[in-house]
Amino acid sequence: MALVAKPPTREDYAMRRSTSDRLVTLGLALVALLWVGPYLWMVATSFKSLDELVRAPAWPIPSHFRLDAYREVFATLPVWRYTLNTLVMAALIGALQAALALPAGYALAKLTFRGRRPAFLMVMACLMIPPQVTFVPVFMMLGPLGLVNTMTALVVPFAVSAFGTFLVRQALLAVPNELIEAARLDGAGELTIIYRILGPLVRPTLAAMFLFSFVYHYSDYFWPLMMTTDDHVRTLPVAIALLREQGTGVRWHIVMAGNVVLTLPVLVLFVLAQRRILRAVTARGLS
Amino acid sequence: MSLRPTKAFHPYAMLAPTLVLLGLFSIVPLGVAFHRSFFAWDLLTPAEPVGFDNYRFLWSSGELLEVGWRTLAYSVVVVSASLTLGLALALALNREGRFYAFVRSAVFSAYVVSWVAVGLLWLWLLDPQAGLVARVTRGLGWTPVDWLGNPKVVLFTLAGVTVWKITGYAMVIFLAGLKDVPRSVLEAAALDGAGPWQRFHRIVWPLLRPTAAFVGTTSLILSFQAFDIVRVMTQGGPVRSSTIFVYAIYEQVFVNLRIGRASALTVVFFLLLVGLTGLQWRWWRNRPRAKTTL
Amino acid sequence: MSPSEAPSRRAFALGLAALFASACDRPPRPSGEVAFWFSYGGNNRKVLLELIERFHQEQSRVHVVATFQGDYFEGLIKLRTALFVGAAPTITHVVGEVVPYLAQAGVLQQLDGIGAESLADLEPALAQAGTFEGGENEPLVALPFNRSTPIAFYNRTLFDELGLRPPTTWDGLRDVARRGGSTGTAARWGFECPVDWWFWTALVGQAGGRIIENGKVTLGGTAGVRALELWQTMVHDDRTMRSPPGRDFNAWEATNGDFLAGRAAMIWTSTAFVRYLEEHASFSVGAAALPGDVRRAVPTGGTFFVMPKGLPESEQAAGLTFLRWMMQPKQASEWARRTGYMPVSKAGRRELEDSGFFREHPNFAVAVDQLSVAERWPWAPSLFRIQREAVQPRLEAAVAARLDARTVLAAACAQSEER
Repeated sequence: MALVAKPPTREDYAMRRSTSDRLVTLGLALVALLWVGPYLWMVATSFKSLDELVRAPAWPIPSHFRLDAYREVFATLPVWRYTLNTLVMAALIGALQAALALPAGYALAKLTFRGRRPAFLMVMACLMIPPQVTFVPVFMMLGPLGLVNTMTALVVPFAVSAFGTFLVRQALLAVPNELIEAARLDGAGELTIIYRILGPLVRPTLAAMFLFSFVYHYSDYFWPLMMTTDDHVRTLPVAIALLREQGTGVRWHIVMAGNVVLTLPVLVLFVLAQRRILRAVTARGLS
Repeated sequence: MSLRPTKAFHPYAMLAPTLVLLGLFSIVPLGVAFHRSFFAWDLLTPAEPVGFDNYRFLWSSGELLEVGWRTLAYSVVVVSASLTLGLALALALNREGRFYAFVRSAVFSAYVVSWVAVGLLWLWLLDPQAGLVARVTRGLGWTPVDWLGNPKVVLFTLAGVTVWKITGYAMVIFLAGLKDVPRSVLEAAALDGAGPWQRFHRIVWPLLRPTAAFVGTTSLILSFQAFDIVRVMTQGGPVRSSTIFVYAIYEQVFVNLRIGRASALTVVFFLLLVGLTGLQWRWWRNRPRAKTTL
Repeated sequence: MSPSEAPSRRAFALGLAALFASACDRPPRPSGEVAFWFSYGGNNRKVLLELIERFHQEQSRVHVVATFQGDYFEGLIKLRTALFVGAAPTITHVVGEVVPYLAQAGVLQQLDGIGAESLADLEPALAQAGTFEGGENEPLVALPFNRSTPIAFYNRTLFDELGLRPPTTWDGLRDVARRGGSTGTAARWGFECPVDWWFWTALVGQAGGRIIENGKVTLGGTAGVRALELWQTMVHDDRTMRSPPGRDFNAWEATNGDFLAGRAAMIWTSTAFVRYLEEHASFSVGAAALPGDVRRAVPTGGTFFVMPKGLPESEQAAGLTFLRWMMQPKQASEWARRTGYMPVSKAGRRELEDSGFFREHPNFAVAVDQLSVAERWPWAPSLFRIQREAVQPRLEAAVAARLDARTVLAAACAQSEER
């Protein structure tokens, strides 16, 4: 079994024909099936009718491809409204995180001032405080202010990412001071330096941050579930999860149709931007 | 090394939004939770101070220990399984070729898809009557396991679904880690007659160990924070057998309207996370240096 | 795109998004608009939305915006959250057990404004007065809409084949469950029932007990123990009843599903599912009253309309207009006819009787007849905590693992006492 990275040499191709290698390939095909199969099952179910589900025939492919389930999803849920809510929320969070991390990261990486160390420690300490710890008190704090059920409650608590700030600081540490000094001599103000000069320099970091946070918050269920009750700020994952809670009997074709609506954009984005997403994830992992 | 700010207030202005927001939404809430944990409050009627009663209840009713152990069991299964599987897949898939790229993408895609989608999907797959899993089991002539209805099984079912979702993450990090393994050394070892297992054991694993520590501690902390999958798939049941930490907090706030008790649980939960993070940082000190700078 | 242009364009996009976001923030309710949160899914949801549609056709002053909020318990969570943050809808509906709690917390609006005429037409046993002991002495805060009782459904085709009749006593229940079940390849439970507070309460009543006796939480005393033990016996000794299939509505869905698929000969569930079961079963569905033990008894269930306190007068009035319309005989009887909930209007019920509906649909009549043995809930603010915190979470474990019923209920009693 070729356990370990090697450039594919001629020897390798020879080995591929060996039995153990064929077993590995077979195993990997099974693995692929284990991950792709559920998606296919989801799609197949979404085209079935309730009767077909109740009868549960052995053959997994629907007898007719029906769009009824999709029609029902779009008829009972304002899908576009929810999608827009979700997109706006995720985009605002991603953009704010990048926009606020730049100046903070710059100050922490490049400037001398009293209190720099405590400020940095505070950012690092906040890494330990996930939303799962803060949701109860934040809910109690926002409630009396009339902010629960608002886009503000969905976005502002995530406008700053402690980890993002840390990442940007790390990236900016690698930028030579001379560059900034030269810009200052040219008469550039600090805002220009931050957003016009340093921003483009650490663009890959910012892009990775944005992408990661966008995908994360687009799919987030936890925070919107806790912070909203109202339709006008409901996000797609919360709405789709509600499809299941009908009280009579679960109509799985409809739930799965909703699930396809929820999943498809993400999977498409994943296929299109796979390399960037991978970079964002490994960067989070290893930097 | 560092630059002098052009105006003294500049750095403070640059940091202000970040520090204010972090303070408001991370640090102040901790204080609020701590304060509220000494009250009995149902959101609707005035709060009453009760001293340490909330903590005492969590301890004496056994809720804290039960929830704690359950969370730990879930996390241990999730971490060990996703780590092992992720490593095996990374080793097997660390090659060129479309087939391998496809398998890598397939496994990793689950990490990108939302927890709600994964929860609903597996709920349907594991449906005891019409679900695909039960059908296949029956087709093979076996009795289907009641994956979500049996209190002894359900926690592991949830762990299994979690592993399905996050193994791609472990795999990807391991694949990145494998890039640090010098090929020349491996080739030399292969020429010296070292078999695959020996090569792995002697060369690859020592180099990957810090990566493994990192993935392990990270997924440990993340699995301690699991909620969505419980909320979507089991609502903590049957018989509370899948009520893990964050779900228990949620239940106290929103189902039972016991804000004080939820706050006390939150405080304990935070302390646990601090402990785990301490563990993580101990491991992290000998982390691999990033090759992929952003 | 030149570099200087890029940030400004991005800023523009960001600004646009922020504008949209602020548009999402708490729109004031336009006058004449009624925000209505509901918890019905499937067919019942369809019927409700059609009724609202008709309401809009008949008049144009009041516009109802209906939002689905998940099942009862999820909806209740949302309501309490919204009450706390001051974002509650004009109207929502809640399970009966929580009404005294919300009333005592002082968050509910008095609803006398609906008018004497509407109130006089309400079916007494289903209205606040008849549902709660002393409910008539409390300010009127809850109006009935979808009310139900537990009921037994049996596979009539199968029962005819086996020569079985729906049981009228507990012994009869065990006997029918034994004879209605089967093992082997086409395994079938003789009896299935969500192990839920509601059905346990029915059994407690039948065994002659009450949840609260003389102002003290007793959970029925020996009657409560006997109720729990009946389930334990049927699950573990007789092996005729399916072990708890899950929590809350998971259990209800599983029970309905098993019945429809022919995997359960007889089930207990809510009258609300008459339509659903009749329409989806491939066999003839029969409905029967629950059996009795020392006496016959059923609790009532379903939900009441409530309105949060402190709404602007005009919004209250708009909400009441809608409720008044919903409680008119025509709507009340249509809702009952098309779902299986009980008609809350006396005239509406007469209408169904006169039109011969009950004769044609005897299953619907069973529920209405059973109202004669319906018991009242105590008007106790602690009732919903007893239900959700003390009893409900324990029942499942007690039945599944056959814990000592006396110990379990003693623990539940103790927890009911704490505030």
